[in-house]
Amino acid sequence: MIGWLLAAPALCVMAFGFLLPVGVLLRMSLNRTDEMGAMREAVSLDTYGRLLSDDLNLSMASDTLQLGLGCAAAAVALALPVTLSIRAAPPAWRGALALAAVAPLLVSGTARIIGWLAILGDSGLVNAVLSWAGLPAQRLINNWTGVQIGLTESLMPYAVLVLLAGLGRLDPRLDEAAATLGASRSRVFWRVTLPLAVPALLAAFVLCLVLGISAFITPRLMGGGRVFVVATEIYDLALQTVDWPAAAAMAMLLLGGLVVLGGVRAVMARR
Amino acid sequence: MAETHLALSGLTRRFGANPPAVDALTLEVPRGALLALLGPSGCGKTTSLRLIAGLERADAGSVRVAGRDVTDLAPEARNMGVVFQSYALFPHMSAAGNVGFGLETRRLSRAERAARVAEALAMVGLADFAQRKPRALSGGQQQRVALARALAIQPDLLLLDEPLSALDAQLRDGVREEIRALQRRLGTTAVFVTHDQAEALAMADLVAVMDRGKLEQCAPPEALFDAPATPFVAGFVGRSSRFEGQVEAPGRIRIAGRLFGATETPAPGPAQVFVRPHRITLAEAGDLPARVTNRVFEGATALLTLDTPIGPLLAEVAAADPFRPGDAGFATLPPTALRVFPL
Repeated sequence: MIGWLLAAPALCVMAFGFLLPVGVLLRMSLNRTDEMGAMREAVSLDTYGRLLSDDLNLSMASDTLQLGLGCAAAAVALALPVTLSIRAAPPAWRGALALAAVAPLLVSGTARIIGWLAILGDSGLVNAVLSWAGLPAQRLINNWTGVQIGLTESLMPYAVLVLLAGLGRLDPRLDEAAATLGASRSRVFWRVTLPLAVPALLAAFVLCLVLGISAFITPRLMGGGRVFVVATEIYDLALQTVDWPAAAAMAMLLLGGLVVLGGVRAVMARR
Repeated sequence: MAETHLALSGLTRRFGANPPAVDALTLEVPRGALLALLGPSGCGKTTSLRLIAGLERADAGSVRVAGRDVTDLAPEARNMGVVFQSYALFPHMSAAGNVGFGLETRRLSRAERAARVAEALAMVGLADFAQRKPRALSGGQQQRVALARALAIQPDLLLLDEPLSALDAQLRDGVREEIRALQRRLGTTAVFVTHDQAEALAMADLVAVMDRGKLEQCAPPEALFDAPATPFVAGFVGRSSRFEGQVEAPGRIRIAGRLFGATETPAPGPAQVFVRPHRITLAEAGDLPARVTNRVFEGATALLTLDTPIGPLLAEVAAADPFRPGDAGFATLPPTALRVFPL
């Protein structure tokens, strides 16, 4: 009873800030759009049918999923060594190192992307180094490469947070026990640390996947209008095409996909 | 006695600007012996064990095993079996997997390895539990798996960190005997850390008492008990009564105005005296008037608290003795019972 009372403010915010808008979107997604592009009140699944029968939408969904999978995998793979070195650091340093690893979260996403543009742009840092070394310039922004780099970087702090929480529960004596039994450092990693990190790695991966699939700012700004993912498409449908039922339906489909991922994660966690 | 197997020399470990956690620890353990590192918490006994295992780096001094200097070797190169206080079993491996882990890096055929795992598990009575994961084993069983895992590598040295502290009291005595019997049968030299003096005195061939990072005394249990080398050991190991007094001449010490004889005394001056309760006799006549203020029945004996002119005095007497609280008598302190240290 006390628990519910304490949760009440959060539940109210959730109800008005999440459930209500989702309800409005769901209702809107059941409306129709006529030939003139105007919205007609209705209760039908026509809009869903229209979206799902469009090959362009399906390939965009597949691109989005691949982007999410790739960036989530890269973010987790990069976060693991960071987390392991934070864990191995002297206790006095750990707090500061962990803070440094998640510091990107303290900076606005837009500001970070502007930083990336300066590094990856056509006359940016990377291309300056390449041309100094006599290598051909690379296009690293306004395309998928740029989005992949930016998205991976933006997901990494989340992966580090989840891995720190997960690996923090492992007894450091396990590593020591393995060492006294004659295991080299790499053997300790492959036979003890990594197998025990699997649940944390999966949790970090699913979180990054969910965030990656629904990412909007990074694909928008680093893609330079040439990269189309579900989130940018919803924005375009709502504000450029002004096809609200289609935007709502696509948002519902994305939400549905994310809920399924959340369910998979919950089932895995119970194992 | 057998030749020296483990030799620590000037072993020192500092953490930051604090006084050294282990301060110039020097001791020797003969082959096949069991050494107990005994002391209050924070005395540096666990750090000493970790230094021997290579899990801590020594700031100074050396560790030699069978004549070989291992001070700079990594733990994986030392071939020491360690049983951790928390057991540190690998939760994702079965009991057999845990025991076999240390054999994986050795050049053994699959069949040889399986045979040695089975042998090690049988040795601790867990042959039927080989496929169980640690969380499906009781605390005592986990403890035995940890022991089997440490012994399966046929270690040059067996190190145990408070191996019994996580077990309930009923189990403790049984496991204590088992560890001791196993260690003796295999002839493995072993070091174990404990804060429980009964455990140390019961199990060990040699007990090293530590306080604030320093070795106070390293001796067989009997010597430690009967001839403590320092006031700390006298007060820490076993029960005793302590008095302060003045050594007036060799063999004579004055406590609260009364003169006592002592077989060994330091140079004249202020001194402290420790007396073991079992050396005190209480009778109708003697040198020190005493009144019984408390009696604790302990089975074959009873522990009396006596009120005497020199202060409270503990006496261990036969349970059949008639003295009860309120009774008066005379206590006798034989000169050999007084351990006198300068103050």
